[in-house]
Amino acid sequence: MRKGLLSLYLALITLSAIAQTPRKTLFKPVPSSESGVNFTNALRESPVLNIITYEYYYNGGGVGLGDFNNDGLIDIYLSANMQPGKLYINKGNMKFEDITAKAGVSAKRGWKTGVSIADVNGDGYQDIYLCLSGPVDREKRTNQLYINNGNLTFTEKAAIMGVSDSGYSTQAVFFDYDRDNDLDLFVLNHNNKNLRNFDASFVKKMIDPDAGDRLYRNDNNFFTEVTIESGIISNPLGYGLGVSVSDFNNDGWPDLYVTNDYVEEDYMYINNHDGTFTNRAKEDFGHLSNFSMGCDVADINNDGWTDVFTLDMLPEDNRRQKLLYMPDNYEVYNNQVQNGFYHQLMRNMLQLNNGNGTFSEIGQLSGVYCTDWSWASLLMDFNNDGYKDIFITNGYGRDMTNRDFVKFYANERMKYIRNEPSENMFKLLQEIPTTPVHNYLYLNNGDLKFTDVSTDAGFDKQTLSNGAAAADLDNDGDLDLVVNHLNAPAEIFRNTLVEDGNAGTWIKFEFKGNGSNKNGIGASIRIFTPKGVLALENYPVRGYQSSMLAPLQTGLPSSQIDSAIVTWPDGNIQHLKDLKVNASNVVTYQTGSKAGATHSETIFNAVADVLPYTHVSPDVNDFKIQPLMPNMISYGGPHTAKADVNGDGLEDIFICGTQDQPGKLFLQKADGKFIESPQPEIEKDAASEDADAIFFDADKDSDPDLYVVSGGFNFNDGDAALQDRLYLNVNGKFRNGNSLPKETLSGSCVRAADVDNDGDMDLFVGTRVVPGRYPESAESLLLINDGKGDFSGAPSSMSDALKSIGMITDAAWIDADNDGRKDLVVCGEWTKIRVFLNKNGELKEATDKYFPDALNGWWNKIQFADMDGDGDMDLIAGNWGLNSPIKVSKGEPATLFYGDFDSNGSVDPLICYYIQGKSYPMASRDEITDQMVSLRQKFPTYTSYSNTTLQDILSEDQLKSAKRLDADYFETTYFENDKGVFKPRKLPVEANFFPVYAIATGDFDRDGKQDIILGGNTDRARIKIGKIDAGYGMMLKGDGKGNFAYVPQLKSGLTVKGCIRDIIKTGDKKNEKLIFTVNNQAPQIYLY
Amino acid sequence: MKRIVAYFFFLLFIPTLYSQKNNAFSTNDYVRALKYSTDIMINDVTSPVAAARYYAYICLTANETYRVFEKQQPHFSGSIKGLDEIRVDQALTENSDESLAVILALYKAGARLLPSGYMMKNKTDSLLNVAKKKKIPSQKIKSTSDLVDSVLNQVMAYVAKDGFSKLSGYRRFTPRTGDAFWQPTAPGFMAPVEPYWYTLRMFILDSCSQFTGGEPDAYDTTTSSGFYKQMKEVYDIKKNLSKEQAEIAMFWDCNPFALQQVGHLEFGLKKISPGGHWMGITGIACKKQKLSLGKTAYAHAIVSMGMCDAFVSCWNNKYKYNRVRPVTAIQKLMDREWTPLLQTPPFPEYTSGHSVISTASATILTHLFGENFSFTDDTEKEFGLPARKFTSFKQACSEAAISRLYGGIHFRDAIENGVKEGEKIGNFVVMKSASLLAAQ
Repeated sequence: MRKGLLSLYLALITLSAIAQTPRKTLFKPVPSSESGVNFTNALRESPVLNIITYEYYYNGGGVGLGDFNNDGLIDIYLSANMQPGKLYINKGNMKFEDITAKAGVSAKRGWKTGVSIADVNGDGYQDIYLCLSGPVDREKRTNQLYINNGNLTFTEKAAIMGVSDSGYSTQAVFFDYDRDNDLDLFVLNHNNKNLRNFDASFVKKMIDPDAGDRLYRNDNNFFTEVTIESGIISNPLGYGLGVSVSDFNNDGWPDLYVTNDYVEEDYMYINNHDGTFTNRAKEDFGHLSNFSMGCDVADINNDGWTDVFTLDMLPEDNRRQKLLYMPDNYEVYNNQVQNGFYHQLMRNMLQLNNGNGTFSEIGQLSGVYCTDWSWASLLMDFNNDGYKDIFITNGYGRDMTNRDFVKFYANERMKYIRNEPSENMFKLLQEIPTTPVHNYLYLNNGDLKFTDVSTDAGFDKQTLSNGAAAADLDNDGDLDLVVNHLNAPAEIFRNTLVEDGNAGTWIKFEFKGNGSNKNGIGASIRIFTPKGVLALENYPVRGYQSSMLAPLQTGLPSSQIDSAIVTWPDGNIQHLKDLKVNASNVVTYQTGSKAGATHSETIFNAVADVLPYTHVSPDVNDFKIQPLMPNMISYGGPHTAKADVNGDGLEDIFICGTQDQPGKLFLQKADGKFIESPQPEIEKDAASEDADAIFFDADKDSDPDLYVVSGGFNFNDGDAALQDRLYLNVNGKFRNGNSLPKETLSGSCVRAADVDNDGDMDLFVGTRVVPGRYPESAESLLLINDGKGDFSGAPSSMSDALKSIGMITDAAWIDADNDGRKDLVVCGEWTKIRVFLNKNGELKEATDKYFPDALNGWWNKIQFADMDGDGDMDLIAGNWGLNSPIKVSKGEPATLFYGDFDSNGSVDPLICYYIQGKSYPMASRDEITDQMVSLRQKFPTYTSYSNTTLQDILSEDQLKSAKRLDADYFETTYFENDKGVFKPRKLPVEANFFPVYAIATGDFDRDGKQDIILGGNTDRARIKIGKIDAGYGMMLKGDGKGNFAYVPQLKSGLTVKGCIRDIIKTGDKKNEKLIFTVNNQAPQIYLY
Repeated sequence: MKRIVAYFFFLLFIPTLYSQKNNAFSTNDYVRALKYSTDIMINDVTSPVAAARYYAYICLTANETYRVFEKQQPHFSGSIKGLDEIRVDQALTENSDESLAVILALYKAGARLLPSGYMMKNKTDSLLNVAKKKKIPSQKIKSTSDLVDSVLNQVMAYVAKDGFSKLSGYRRFTPRTGDAFWQPTAPGFMAPVEPYWYTLRMFILDSCSQFTGGEPDAYDTTTSSGFYKQMKEVYDIKKNLSKEQAEIAMFWDCNPFALQQVGHLEFGLKKISPGGHWMGITGIACKKQKLSLGKTAYAHAIVSMGMCDAFVSCWNNKYKYNRVRPVTAIQKLMDREWTPLLQTPPFPEYTSGHSVISTASATILTHLFGENFSFTDDTEKEFGLPARKFTSFKQACSEAAISRLYGGIHFRDAIENGVKEGEKIGNFVVMKSASLLAAQ
């Protein structure tokens, strides 16, 4: 009996020991009992002070890391909103001593926010600049500057030095913007009230003394405000939450990126070198975060250019997305753009710097775009592999945007609000739930993609976290973290990388700067290794309300350093010698050389005044016709056709028209320029939307005739404007042959081939969709030529296979089976690439033989060319790409269920895709109950809809009767023709930055090997999907063996902004050029 | 004609013999039961037009249920277009309780039609318990429930064909570019409510464009123009608004969802819709007059159906004229910071909903209850607005109409022409229903 008890006892002990053995994680929290850091940013909500009375009540505190006693150990300052701040001196081995009282930096009074560490007065000791805000009078929110007396005591001197900014401050950053070797100051302020009803053009120009950002110039340790003359915007709409400094254009002068919450757009201040800045946010970026919070800037792909990462509020999981997401409103979105607030979308943005004044936003492709309500992001190398990772803090005090609260719940509690004091509002507030969420750590895979290691790295605890900073606190060679939580003790996370034996190779730099910029703030280092270039900038302020003034530190991809240079804040360049890895290197200022202007040759060079044309697209919104479509069908043009129509040996081009613009013909002249050739008969058909066009000799009179496909979505089914047209060439004038069968299909493409082998050209015309009934499609057509240009529909024996092949976007005729007859290849939306062999004029499907991989995608374009010089035709196929919230795979496809589920005469397209392993409907509760009204009874609240899958929405009968389309593959792909079978080969990840609508091939860099040009983008997407504009015309350089490498924009020279819909290669040896046609803009033309 | 009017008068104004029944449930229960549907509509943020449609079908169901028992009850099935004779098994009728059936009809119709109809369940269970306590045998309760289901199913077949189910298939509205046209308004900038409501089937009227009160003043920025003067009137009234005018504006606000934005906090404050307000007044009148259950059922049915038609007519005008709201025009032409006292409802301006439907309802109620029927309107008390006394329905609807000018959300011609439109609609409903009655 006793033995049994003993065994039981031992078993229990063992079990509990196992249970308590901590999981191995990259970061381990250091308990307060060990570190001595006992600090909590505690908020005590009261009727007088809460999120209602103060806009930014939940915005949290900050972290400042610096070495205040110059002993080589990094110390910690933490700010709290309502409590005093605390200063901890690092005693080594993760032990800290609270010296706040002695130091005199508690800042008891006021609402404290951001912490900025810098040696402001240039005396060799680091100072603390503390920002203040809060719903109080100006005198109570003047920022404080604690000047280090050199003996761990500080004296507050903000007013004396002219930096006691009284605005509602978030953060402040010290940097040398005029390159005179002292530190100037930018103060980031926000407004206390959320302005809602205002005249944008008027308010954007105002100067607000409390909300506006401010710039101060340091003149001998006294700071002068120079905001207005420097061009810094200081209006009441600035809800500045993040500021980062960097030299974004590598011209040696520091620039600024400022994030703004709410409606005001972010700012990108480019330094003009003369004391002024120009805001280029709307020129350089395609879109921005909407409620931008913290940000960080760093080179995340080791190409030497600083990238930008901004944070927003989008939750990762389906449930919170459905509960918290505010309804899309296209009128509000368009008004915001028209009022100068630009394109803003609610998600994190990872903006890749192309080095030429453009950025490509790839947050969705990289997998870092939704981390809930996020505050700080730190782009730093946490695992010493030489690539910068991303740490993100998140969490908001209460779920204020919970749709059930807004629509249903609040009123129940607030029936008498008008007659009651703020007590009722406060009680109401306390009923809104709080949802802590876990912080995120993403590791950089080195290929523009990141892996979420949050749980494994030790960040699975759900908290509300705000400011964060990273530095090597225990001097072991890896970066540790300090996080300031809301209403929970601040935490130090020790990085276990080195102690676990995975140190990798690392290096630190400590700067001894010039003038009074003793720490060399703004110095930037470039390290050249065999495995790539690492770029680092010495700016302490990163993330959110925090700063870290410590030796600049990174891992290295290899232990070998070829060379390194430092660019000092005043522009001097210095080559660094004798650098030691796995050690700290002191870099002392020496006068070197100045940066010279570099100019390298690009493969393409833009030319102007070649083609006098601008595409005019009607302003339509397909989502008004079918609110649940994933993408618009409109805005697909302009496509083009080219041929020598007047026999002068020069290629002419026809550019397709829109409902608002007739198609136009341009004749090329000997000097390479184009002149419009008026075509009255084509102009008569201006009401049609031209989806595609082709020149071919229809009537065998040796000149090219023109077939134009009428398409579009903004038409009634059966509209006469949907009739295709064939214009016969009569001495350069095109006359409508009226020789086509009558039809009113919305077409997409036309391709010519002699299908029946009778010596004349027949046509395949692809059908896109039944207007107003997406995704229903009609038959695609095979038109047979009688030799004189009269066409009729092919007999069903020939064309039966084309009856229901789906929504076709592109097609091509190639001889797939080498029997001398052209076969048909088609692609479409929600289809595979399909092959129909031409068997004596009869088309028979043989897809599985030629494309055995069965890849269902949203294909837009197929282009055949011999890319590897082996004599057979390979294929490049343009697809939707990977830069959207919809991720698909064979096991987790996107599915479109459709039918008239509510019997109201219209088609209901219900798209589902996988989020975190389960398939959910894309539509929000508002959207789906607007479309299918009976669902309002099924889902009376947002909560009832938040976990819904399609099986809950449709009944068993509806599911049975539903038609279904799947997509499991979105990559733009190169298919190598391997003995007739097309084998998919991966293209560089950049090829999936954007949906590809246009493809050209050729030897553009004249190295004897075929290259690829990709064009695309979409700027009329659902707001939830958002504008995808990461493409600027992309060159992929071929090696002749089927391998392609991305050519950076700086090298290719391509900067085509907008939605590319076609690429024309034309010109002779003297002036070969590419013409990019762009939707609703003038074409852009490049010589090569 | 005079004979028909007299018949009407006699029917309702003077308590008649056959109303002396020992009914388990009475007019008070009717009014309470209908209020439950109102509460659910408030919860669901039902739009004014949708609410009117629900009221019409709910009250119609109750009236036709009563008629199953009392053949002389004025009724609509077999009378108005599309609604066939309601047929219920004789045995079932004899085994059911008449007054319970009428009240239960209100509950079940509400449960069936309203998006959050599930909220009726507890109330229905309570009702049946009360019936038991009133000594109605369980078997009778069950029969009554089956009878109501049968009537409701037949009414629902009629409901299904009114065009409502097609609305979600139409193209969504795009505001037209131009200062004369309606643009989304602050604070919510919501898409406009039900642009295709004019396609719905009418109950009594022949068509949605049958009656008009006149043309609006065309948009014109010259200061001497009618439009500009009207715009200035809205602006000036707010500047000099008296306490009483403000109270009147709030009393008739009837905004189902007033968006509150206080810092980060955003939520909607809810009230009854204009239709809900006049259903409340109808209930007040029936109770004051101590009408029998049958007469209460008829009064509510005819008022709600007339009101629903009035909304369809008004909405037809709203989207036909697609006129800009005062706040948009004033901010553009006079004062960029100006805001109205009330929140501008999310739909175009001309004609004013309250003006049309209040006048139509008041006209019908006047014919039912008399010219100088005074009453105390306490329908807004639960929303913190004190009761108001009226000497007649006409006085009440005139106040409702002008309240929109005080509230800063309408121009005067939308109100005055709206009143004319409502009057014509009300008179037509009275006439048409009288002739329908005469044929029964």
